[in-house]
Amino acid sequence: MTEIALKADSLSVSRGRVPVLSDITFDVSVGEVFALLGGNGAGKSTTLLTFLGFLPPRSGSVTVLNKPVTQNVEFVRQKSAYLPEAANLYPHLNARENIKYFLSLAKVPRSASDIEAALDEVSLATEARGRRLSSYSKGMRQKVAISLAILRQAPVLFLDEPTSGLDPVAIDEFNQLITKLSAAGTTVLMVTHDVYGACQIAGRVGLLKAGSLVGVFEAPEGGQISPEEVHRAFAEGA
Amino acid sequence: MDNIIRELRFSLRDPVVALTLLVGVLLSAFTVFSGLKEVDTERAQIERVKQMVDDDRTYALADQSDAGGAAYYAFHFTYAPPSDLAFAARGVRDDLPWKHRIRMLALEGQIYETDAGNPELSRIGKFDFAFFAAFLLPLLMILLLHDLKAAEVRNNRWAFLSATGGDGGRLLLSRAVLRAILLFACIITPFLAGVIVSTASLMSAVVVCAVIGLNLAFWLVLSLFTTSRIQSGPTAAALLLGAWFTLTVALPVGGKLMVEQSVPVPMGGEILLTQREAVNDAWDLPREATLKPFYERHPEWANAEPVSEGFDWYWYYAFQQVGDQTVESMSEALRDGVAERDKAMAMIALTSPPLLVDRVMSQLAMTDIAAFQSYDQCVRDFHAALRAFHYPMLFGGKEYSAEAMKELPTFRPCASNS
Ligand SMILES: Nc1ncnc2c1ncn2[C@@H]1O[C@H](COP(=O)(O)OP(=O)(O)O)[C@@H](O)[C@H]1O
Ligand SMILES: [Mg+2]
Repeated sequence: MTEIALKADSLSVSRGRVPVLSDITFDVSVGEVFALLGGNGAGKSTTLLTFLGFLPPRSGSVTVLNKPVTQNVEFVRQKSAYLPEAANLYPHLNARENIKYFLSLAKVPRSASDIEAALDEVSLATEARGRRLSSYSKGMRQKVAISLAILRQAPVLFLDEPTSGLDPVAIDEFNQLITKLSAAGTTVLMVTHDVYGACQIAGRVGLLKAGSLVGVFEAPEGGQISPEEVHRAFAEGA
Repeated sequence: MDNIIRELRFSLRDPVVALTLLVGVLLSAFTVFSGLKEVDTERAQIERVKQMVDDDRTYALADQSDAGGAAYYAFHFTYAPPSDLAFAARGVRDDLPWKHRIRMLALEGQIYETDAGNPELSRIGKFDFAFFAAFLLPLLMILLLHDLKAAEVRNNRWAFLSATGGDGGRLLLSRAVLRAILLFACIITPFLAGVIVSTASLMSAVVVCAVIGLNLAFWLVLSLFTTSRIQSGPTAAALLLGAWFTLTVALPVGGKLMVEQSVPVPMGGEILLTQREAVNDAWDLPREATLKPFYERHPEWANAEPVSEGFDWYWYYAFQQVGDQTVESMSEALRDGVAERDKAMAMIALTSPPLLVDRVMSQLAMTDIAAFQSYDQCVRDFHAALRAFHYPMLFGGKEYSAEAMKELPTFRPCASNS
């Protein structure tokens, strides 16, 4: 029996007075990649923020590594790395300084060579690493944020549209990286509108529409989810 | 410790923070430096003028053959020397006179014939360390803190920071406190250098640091409170500037108007004119009209035979004194009124940390109203001593001689920590 790492149980969340998520149930096993797909405003980011303890469930519950998030916010944040949507790290610091800063904040010491290795993995040009982020493109900033998430070596990754801004080559590299991490036991909950990328690396894909989980697609043994099928469901409104 | 070093490096790399701190340290150094120079200038000026007046007096006295002439031509330089801390807080020192040339004529006119100095310069002289630490410091603080959280939210970093560090609120609080401490250090360092150079008392320096720290803490708490409620940086800044304006401009200006309304005080100029008129009119009055009130004040001379050689000096000095007596109650009302207004302003200052800093500092620097009034009293006491010295020769038949003139009182500044 596989171990459950993340679990949303009849989860409903409101932002302000507006209900954003209603009655969502799904779980993610340890080492699994679960991709949440959905249009703009479907509630994808809200789901991640709820898992990280920023938004309280109106009803239902979320658990991370078997602990209810609401009572274990610090624990959850310590055990997970979060890649925010359109991550803006500090523009007045360079890539290395940003990474060092956030690693120190997370209290995970890493050596300079670890940091260079992580930046190599996302193929950030060596020449750029000492430049301030204010001179970076969106994709370059995203690469720094991704390498930071890797360096955390956290058991759980929450990724909010990690490939946005990346070029196709970088997207391929990113997908390989996630596959590798997942094989090594990292649990990944990622949010995306990239149907093809999601189907390529995810064990399961959940389709979110207007705050409801309208379908979950599972990869066949040893195979991949059919992007056409997901795409159709996405377009039809399932 | 690691956290502190991390945040310290982080803050110092931030251009806004670095620039604000630089401005802070430069302004502080400038005010301290110009304050020290101003004090030096005053001390040199005191030396020079005192020497000049003393020389003139010696020169003038050499020619005199009677007490009346000696009292008439002998000028004395009175002054309040700047305290060691005066470099940091000019207080009212640029607005109210702290030096006079006094002789034994009617005193009130001499006191209120204000030595206005150079009004243009005195306005620049107002930009002292106390002004900076009391009124401008909050602006730097607001600059450093108004956008602390808003910038993180605006740049999509707020959740990221909190997720990474576990508690974003605590992190931002530590950043705010650190910035306040850095700003404090930038402000205080030049001041402490000034204290060492001027050999001011360490105790007053500690008190100054404490009140400035209090001022900073007040604006820190107010900024944190405001930014915790207001999500937008510019809106928070506007609110904080509103608070700043209220506490540093509206409150003292409004308070001053109110206090001036409720505590009427005669004008110094009025006293000067009334006294001068009394003296001028005395020439045309029968001598009795002058001597009667004089002897009422000085019964000890009432039965003595005044010295009446050449010009009748005794009568002249009697009407000088009676001139003072005419405005005595006005002059007292002025002093009481000024003291009462000052007390009221002290109450108002209790409601505003910047005003409190300014007051405490000028109090310690002895440049406040109280110090000014004690200088005023010092001049009056000296003038009284001059009269006590000369009157026996004018009204009591004591003989005038160069020998006797060696006992002529000389002015010594009253209590000062200098
Ligand atoms: N800070 C917020 N306050 C109130 N409502 C919000 C906030 N952020 C997002 N929402 C609303 O919540 C809904 C879901 O947003 P989100 O989870 O960001 O969507 P997605 O990430 O799927 O594009 C949207 O209707 C959006 O308007
Ligand atoms: Mg989103």
